[in-house]
Amino acid sequence: MEQDVSERGVPTDEGWLRGRRVWTVTAGVDVVSGLAAGFLDHGARVAQLSDDADTLAAAPEGVVRVSGTFDSQPAADAGVAALAEAAGPPDLVVIGMLPRAAMRLAPLSALSEGEWRLGACDGLRALAYVLRALGPRIKDRGVAVVVVGPSLSLVGCPQLVALTTLLEGQRGMVKSVARQWGGADVTLNWIAAAPRALSPLFDAAPLAAKPDAVSVALGRPLDPRREIAPVIGFLGSPAGRAITGASLTLDGGEWMVP
Amino acid sequence: MTPMDWTRQPGLLKGRTAIVTGAGGGIGRGLACALGLAGAHVVIAARRAATGEETAELVRRDGGSALAVETDVADRAAVDRMVAAAVAAFGGVDIAIHNASSGLSGKSFKLEEITDADWDEQVDVALGAAFHLAQATFPYLKDTGRGRFIVFNSSQGLHGGAMNPVYAATKSAQRGFVKALAREWGPHGIVVNAVAPAALTDAAKVYLESDPERSRQAMASFPLGRMGDMRDDIGAAVVALSSDYWRYVTGLTVPVDGGYYTAL
Repeated sequence: MEQDVSERGVPTDEGWLRGRRVWTVTAGVDVVSGLAAGFLDHGARVAQLSDDADTLAAAPEGVVRVSGTFDSQPAADAGVAALAEAAGPPDLVVIGMLPRAAMRLAPLSALSEGEWRLGACDGLRALAYVLRALGPRIKDRGVAVVVVGPSLSLVGCPQLVALTTLLEGQRGMVKSVARQWGGADVTLNWIAAAPRALSPLFDAAPLAAKPDAVSVALGRPLDPRREIAPVIGFLGSPAGRAITGASLTLDGGEWMVP
Repeated sequence: MTPMDWTRQPGLLKGRTAIVTGAGGGIGRGLACALGLAGAHVVIAARRAATGEETAELVRRDGGSALAVETDVADRAAVDRMVAAAVAAFGGVDIAIHNASSGLSGKSFKLEEITDADWDEQVDVALGAAFHLAQATFPYLKDTGRGRFIVFNSSQGLHGGAMNPVYAATKSAQRGFVKALAREWGPHGIVVNAVAPAALTDAAKVYLESDPERSRQAMASFPLGRMGDMRDDIGAAVVALSSDYWRYVTGLTVPVDGGYYTAL
């Protein structure tokens, strides 16, 4: 595999992603556009399935765009089938399922039952639908699945109890399905990324860490394109096949879990 | 195993009121009995009135104070009624424990086999009911100045078991709920934690006794060499967690499991 040096001077290995087919599947908040740009930088072919018109519009040039929904198993099946038809079978699938309803800043006591369900529960079910839709297309093909979420769920976020609940639930599902599908040569991992590297929407969140409370080792924001996408590329490469069910914290050294 | 000597810490929770969901049997019954022995008024929320009353009778037989309230925890109105009954009987709520779990929790499922109905039942009890209990008890937990909210979890919420992806997901989700709520409720003086027990339930006993070799192998994964007694091991830990001794510990998932899960 050939080595490259990025603009930041960070050694990268383009071979991890060059020529590989990467699917991104997202619901709600756009947490993948920066990553998709990074995959393209490293020579991947990228196709995106999303229920959000803004996310699809923000996709970098060169990304195959497919619109779909995830509110039922047939809907998820149809979306994944359309993605397969448009882009061919994947080598790597990157998923981010963060319903916008989960982003409402409010104390738990102010949430209605419906808001709780939309925020904490529906995105969990949507992830299950997507994984089930993917199953027949990725089993026994050495495909890697990486689910991406903000690292705030590792430590909990006040006023975002539903979102924290959802994210930790998704992380638990990744572990469980990694165990169930490991024998079918599928790996599943969780990326807990610095929230603000994923979406500017997290600028408003009352994140647990402030500069004066917990220091971030690198002391600077992360660039998803240059710093997170390559790690995901590694997980999707032959070199990353031994890693499954793991939670990788890509936050520049904030929480250092555990 | 040396029996727990409950007389050494008499009245540790004296005068406090504790709600336990899913207390008609199993771990919930053990918790109710332990809390009663520690001096708490125990409100037993059970889906079936008869089993709830059985637990209440056990608490009273040991000299404790108990009220059984038939409660479907997935029903918000039923949870509100139960909390209102607790307040009417004992004047408030100091400790709320969400222990109830779906009957499907112990069933094995492949991801591909889970129906929407299976999904709903598990999520409604694990997450919906946690939400209901938290909202319904919040005003009272805030008032006491020593509120405790405890969610009963599982090692599968930590390591993500292969047995049932919905169970692993909902137990992991509960841990997120606890972490976020601990931060949100901390300013109100409410301590929020999860407990991941390894309890010798009746079902576990039957399972282990049916195959001595399987039992031996299973016990080898517990450094203490046994699963926990529902009252004297799991319940005792919850009494401690509910007491003032642990008032500065919040947002954690505490494995009460004889050393089974040490990866934290």
